[in-house]
Amino acid sequence: MVVSPVHFIAVPLLAAFLIPLLAKVSKELVRIVPGLVIGYLSVVSVILMTQVVNTGQPIIEVIGGWSPPFGINLVFSAFTGFLVSLMTFMAFLIWIYSYRFKKIDDAPAQKYFILFMMLVTGSTGIVLTGDIFNLFVFMEITAIAAYSLTAFYRDRDGAEAAFKYLLIGSFASALMLLAIVLLYSQVGTLNMAEIAQRIHTVPQGMKITIFTLFVVGLGIEAEMFPLNGWAPDAYSQSPGPVGVAFAALVVKAGVYSLVRVVFTMFDIHGAYEFLIIMGAITMVIAEISALKQTNLKRMLAYSSIGQMGFVLIAFGIGTNAAVFGALFLMFNHAVIKGLLFMSGSYLVYNTPSKEIKDMAGIGKKLPMVSFFFALGALAIVGLPPFSGFWSKLYILMAAADASFYYLMGTILIVSIIEIVYYFRVMGRLYFGKPQNDVVLQKPTLGGIFAMGVLATVIIVIGIHPDFVTGFIQSAADTLLDKAGYINNVLQLTNL
Amino acid sequence: MDLDYNQIMSIGVYGSAIGLILIGLYAVLIKKHLTKIVIGLSIIDAGIHLLFIAIGYIKGGTAPIFSPAGEKIVANGGVMVDPVPQALVLTAIVIGFAVTAVALSLVIRLYRHHQTARIDQIKSLKW
Repeated sequence: MVVSPVHFIAVPLLAAFLIPLLAKVSKELVRIVPGLVIGYLSVVSVILMTQVVNTGQPIIEVIGGWSPPFGINLVFSAFTGFLVSLMTFMAFLIWIYSYRFKKIDDAPAQKYFILFMMLVTGSTGIVLTGDIFNLFVFMEITAIAAYSLTAFYRDRDGAEAAFKYLLIGSFASALMLLAIVLLYSQVGTLNMAEIAQRIHTVPQGMKITIFTLFVVGLGIEAEMFPLNGWAPDAYSQSPGPVGVAFAALVVKAGVYSLVRVVFTMFDIHGAYEFLIIMGAITMVIAEISALKQTNLKRMLAYSSIGQMGFVLIAFGIGTNAAVFGALFLMFNHAVIKGLLFMSGSYLVYNTPSKEIKDMAGIGKKLPMVSFFFALGALAIVGLPPFSGFWSKLYILMAAADASFYYLMGTILIVSIIEIVYYFRVMGRLYFGKPQNDVVLQKPTLGGIFAMGVLATVIIVIGIHPDFVTGFIQSAADTLLDKAGYINNVLQLTNL
Repeated sequence: MDLDYNQIMSIGVYGSAIGLILIGLYAVLIKKHLTKIVIGLSIIDAGIHLLFIAIGYIKGGTAPIFSPAGEKIVANGGVMVDPVPQALVLTAIVIGFAVTAVALSLVIRLYRHHQTARIDQIKSLKW
């Protein structure tokens, strides 16, 4: 069977529109079909990824017979392929985790799975597309699905969080559209490879204006300070699996597009230093805010923002080793934060107030979930032998090689803050006195399985990082090879 | 200063595009009513769309349609306007419509939940 990158967009989109029809046939199909679709996509991503790594050539899909730069093209290189594989893998685990979501009531589950398929379509589309306007369209698909998923629960303050997200998000998309308009008026093309080729003809002032508009527009999805006001509310008000999807899919797509703009499209002097500064501010402010949170999900959200700041710093250092570290950290963040949000949701279920202080003693009542949470907490602060240790080590080594000593100091101080607030939760879980013996919600079988897989990944990668480093290394090489990207895309042009 | 018809037109079009963006920004930033904020977002979008169309216009250009009539005009030295911005604006209008629909449904939900649509009276979450 012929597999192609276009399946990542076509299949989940088709499934999203078929779900209401399938619901007429059988209620169970609504839950099974998304899993089949995402499972298929995971298999496709593995097949394509092996092909790309073996041949060393990216797969460039020309859509509708219009060769680039006239038509839209999809680029499945080692870099984009790595992110797509990560996203589909995480989406599959989210599906297993949320298989029994709203089991009592099928109508909301149907809406949830439709929106979830749209979210998968949008975020893989952002990563795969080679056309800047197409990226905007996928960004909007992701955003609309994300707004609706944030407002999913009627009884929480979801609508308020969603409106806040929508206000910031649609403002960002307006700025991004303006950036695309100005860029088109300057270079006369929308193909990212051709933009990269022609960007040096744009006057400096215009180039900086367009770049700023792009960074503000994309920085919102990437949770960059000061554009991340939506994140704590959206994470804390949305259903549990959606928080995982935000951390593993939406934010990854946002960071990807920011990196694509900085590394491939523009050649602005000082853009890397700008990323470092913004990343450092984001990281420090987010981690300090996380320290004073009393609500568990808000704390995890701020920690997620902090990690994204860390990723931006690593990309900003810009050397091959640092980009390698940044991609490794993106992988780790998806896996570990996924585990933390999945287990954290069960902790929150069993604490009606959602406050950390009321979680005392849950470690004895829900041993499995608390163990997974503790494992995730130990991994994300970067203790060996877990996978979080390696990414932090690689980034610190890259910072040392590039002689950013102040940056290393900041990263290490922030790590101490991280340890304080994660260990505070763990201390309450295991050494606090239980207030009551009622267990409201035991984890489902699917939930335990998904968390178990993530925990295994964390430990296996921690002991033996070579399982992924090969892929990440070729992803980092591909990202930094700007000329290769331009050549690979534009060689298909047949005038 | 002598301005011909085309210059006046282009100043008018670019000016009103920027004016629309600024009016929209004013509504989003200053107005307290949720519906007015949503209207402001739509106005910003409209301004950007107008700007995009104006950039794609070529003086004296005809509609970019491949037809015998269009080919005849091009063969006689005429020009066609750039079709790409028009196609993109069409897409952007659809996206803007979808976002506005979601936004208004959220406004309805907020109104039912809080019995008010004023943003300064809704503060369960920290704004």
